[in-house]
Amino acid sequence: MSEQWFERDPLWFKRAVFYEVHIRGFFDGNDDGSGDFRGLIEKLDYLQWLGVDCIWLLPMYPSPLRDGGYDIADFYNIHPDYGTVEDFKEFVEQAHQRGIRVIADLVMNHTSSDHPWFQESRTDPTGPRGDWYVWSDTDEPYKDARIIFVDTEASNWTLDPVRGQYYWHRFFSHQPDLNFENPEVQDAMLNVLRFWLDLGIDGFRLDAVPYLFEEEGTSSENLPPTHAYLKRVRAEVDARYPDRVLLAEANQWPADVVQYFGDGDECQMAFHFPVMPRMFMAVRREDATPMYEILGSTPDIPANCQWGLFLRNHDELTLEMVTDEERDYMYAEYAKDPRMKLNLGIRRRLAPLLDGSRDEIELMHAVLFSLPGSPVLYYGDEIGMGDNVYLGDRDGVRTPMQWTGDRNAGFSRADWAQLYLQPLMDPVYGYQAVNIEAQLRSPASFLRWLHRFIALRKEHPVFGLGSYEPLRSDNSRIFAHIRRWEEDVILCVHNVARSAQPVQLDLSEYAGMVPEEMFGRTSFPPIGELPYLLTLAPRGFFWFRLRQVT
Amino acid sequence: MRFDEHALIDHVTQQRWYGAKSRDVAHAQVVDSVVLRTAEPQFALALVEMRYDTGAHDLYQLLYSLRGETIEIDGLKDASLARELVSAMRSGLTLHGAEGVVEFRPVEGYAGLGRELKDARDVGAEQSNTSIVFDDELILKVFRRLEPGINPELEMLRFLTEHGFANIAALGGWYSYAGGPLAATLGIVQEYVRGGLDGWELALDELAGDPDRFLGRLRRLGEVTGEMHSVLGSDSNDAAFSPETPSVESLGLLTATVDEEIARVFLMLPDEEESVAPIAGRGEEVRDQLRQLTYTGAAGQFIRVHGDYHLGQTMWAGDDWVILDFEGEPARSLAERRRKRSVLRDVAGMLRSFAYAASAVSLLRGTDPPEGWEEEARSQFLEGYFETVDASLLPAGQSATERLLAVFELEKAVYELQYELDNRPDWVGIPVRGIQRLIEEPTAA
Repeated sequence: MSEQWFERDPLWFKRAVFYEVHIRGFFDGNDDGSGDFRGLIEKLDYLQWLGVDCIWLLPMYPSPLRDGGYDIADFYNIHPDYGTVEDFKEFVEQAHQRGIRVIADLVMNHTSSDHPWFQESRTDPTGPRGDWYVWSDTDEPYKDARIIFVDTEASNWTLDPVRGQYYWHRFFSHQPDLNFENPEVQDAMLNVLRFWLDLGIDGFRLDAVPYLFEEEGTSSENLPPTHAYLKRVRAEVDARYPDRVLLAEANQWPADVVQYFGDGDECQMAFHFPVMPRMFMAVRREDATPMYEILGSTPDIPANCQWGLFLRNHDELTLEMVTDEERDYMYAEYAKDPRMKLNLGIRRRLAPLLDGSRDEIELMHAVLFSLPGSPVLYYGDEIGMGDNVYLGDRDGVRTPMQWTGDRNAGFSRADWAQLYLQPLMDPVYGYQAVNIEAQLRSPASFLRWLHRFIALRKEHPVFGLGSYEPLRSDNSRIFAHIRRWEEDVILCVHNVARSAQPVQLDLSEYAGMVPEEMFGRTSFPPIGELPYLLTLAPRGFFWFRLRQVT
Repeated sequence: MRFDEHALIDHVTQQRWYGAKSRDVAHAQVVDSVVLRTAEPQFALALVEMRYDTGAHDLYQLLYSLRGETIEIDGLKDASLARELVSAMRSGLTLHGAEGVVEFRPVEGYAGLGRELKDARDVGAEQSNTSIVFDDELILKVFRRLEPGINPELEMLRFLTEHGFANIAALGGWYSYAGGPLAATLGIVQEYVRGGLDGWELALDELAGDPDRFLGRLRRLGEVTGEMHSVLGSDSNDAAFSPETPSVESLGLLTATVDEEIARVFLMLPDEEESVAPIAGRGEEVRDQLRQLTYTGAAGQFIRVHGDYHLGQTMWAGDDWVILDFEGEPARSLAERRRKRSVLRDVAGMLRSFAYAASAVSLLRGTDPPEGWEEEARSQFLEGYFETVDASLLPAGQSATERLLAVFELEKAVYELQYELDNRPDWVGIPVRGIQRLIEEPTAA
């Protein structure tokens, strides 16, 4: 029987800090040049120290790896480079012992063209799996669906020479979409979920969920049958597996994304994609307006649901959910070298995007942690790792974790040439300058700062559970808001400008209370009826707890 | 058997072993139960789930009795009923509940269980358990708050017994639950050390009367501790106990953790308080010293350790020391308590205990210990310890060992400082002196 390590807590994900791990790049436990589950187990103490509540694993299944593993060739196994199903079980067990939960990427929309289901479907059109993919005699249907990977794909249809028909794919042509109209496909995918849930996994990040169903005359995204199926998935999970979470990856506008929460009966979490480019925009334009606007246009979500928020992840910094004009601005500011662009986005890590500015990196984390949602950190960003834009596709942001200044960045004991990718060696972001070991030892390092910051956020459930109340002022360079939950009232004030800024905030509602700065616990002057004046350093921020004076 | 939910909530939330005092209980319900005695008064075991308004829950073990229609939730009020648990262990019973089984098991060849038990007395509730002593020969520990997994008390006693470590109170038997709600150890019975003197009380008595006499016992305590660690690190075939080489960043993680704790505690230090004057405003010095101590990075091997080691966990049994209470720090989770760590954490705990004894004798008995007593106590204990312990468990080289030990002492003293500031202002001087000693002592090169 499985041991249950956690007290039952159906809303754990609302207070959690997530950490996204690229297994291949984290730590090599068997000296073959590629990260694996044994290696990940060895580094769990580090993640526990950092304050991680939940690890999100990038795809771990057997795959030809033509799309970073999002091209799954077998849903019931572990990629041999990463270990075995037994290793995976041991990893989950060890993580649970440290109070860390585990969710994994799962792609329901499509498979690799190498998957036996597809091979059967293309060779035996009348056989049991003949109808498991979306086949058509022409490439005419569903013309209103956009193409996502604009850099590589010209159409969502590709002619299969074996079957002599076109198959539908919303992503790469080697990733045929499954036919969710077929009830057998729906059941097959539920069986996959059950298999991993039985092994103890705490949930899934459901990749590419908006595209499960197609319908003529629509964009074939976010369709009602897609939502109906996700509700069925949720009901099946809830019935047998307590405290699990479904996290939807739906790169859509907030009004469309909230549909993935249903009435609290669909996915518990969904990423808030549009907020992230606007944070970068705000910092570059020195204007907080885009932040206020996107949060203002974000609908309320059910009480048992939560946004997932991130600064950067394993993909490009996506610019799908901005206007053309905003996209041009972002490209001009953040992708000066055209190599940095990919599809509709920018393939760079956090630190290089912000020119390595410690103040800006801290400010971005402060804004991220202050927003209503659960933050998702991307491996390596906690030490300000860099990227390599000369590597293909998104590999540039998936280089080995830099553990030490020793050989292979302490990532692997294999030969240098054997490594799946070589660690960064440039003088600014290379592993001799940027590594975990050195930053652990230095009390003033970014890693140590972030560790304290995570601890601070976790001390106050208000950040995960509380309301968000924007606090506009005359100074558009200031992003200020109130978070409130039960007795806890938190005032967050951020200066997105490169220069020092004064701000007068209308805090009359809190007259008589005393703001206590949360890091140093210094009490500021009490709030009166007049506007409250604060001065902020360039890219500076303050978080205050408003205390009743006794 | 149906319980009144309100009575159940009232009862459980008032117990010393109830761990969630700050939470609002929304529901309490019995999730499984087995009957231990069918004759009047009936006696039964129940697992009770306490569900909080946040949706979280905890499981507790209750032993209740029934006379006619009258239920007594605290069945151990009549301590003699606890004999049923021991006799179930003696006969190796397996009892089936609705959701799982309760297994009672004796330790093979343990004679103490064979006797008929007469007298039973409640020796008071601890933070996590209730203990009953029978005829001054056996002690039963009933674990109240249940966590999934084997309880370290059972696991450690069994391992130490099997590997021939004699300085413990022998394990007689145990009982555990396995089923839908969880799998967990419910209780153990072990030898009661009759006439044993609590190590802490003995220290205070002898420090007040005959300080040298106690010093004379400490070398032996060091030896026993060293043996205990050697035995705990001796079996590489048992995954739960086999020594592990710590990861490269383990010392870095420890340093960062201690460093941040120092910064946090010093930030809140009441500067005007006279007792903290020797270290007030010296937080940066303490952090510098920590950096010096952790400059070279060796941590030795990690093994299972006692985990909550101090004089109060030892007993002088007339001719030798007995080590007690392997449950670990009750506030930590069970998985956390079962983690492998450096043996020097235990050693540091004991050294800090000597500092406490030296001061407590002034505070509680009104006599000062002789000049240099604590130093002498430390060196007696350490001499015995280093002579006995398996050196492969320690960082290579005396200097590295001393540094790591100092780091653990510092960690402990900083924790004590916070604790005493919050709870016992009169005792603040003890950790203050400990921290002062550590910053003023030059680090070994």
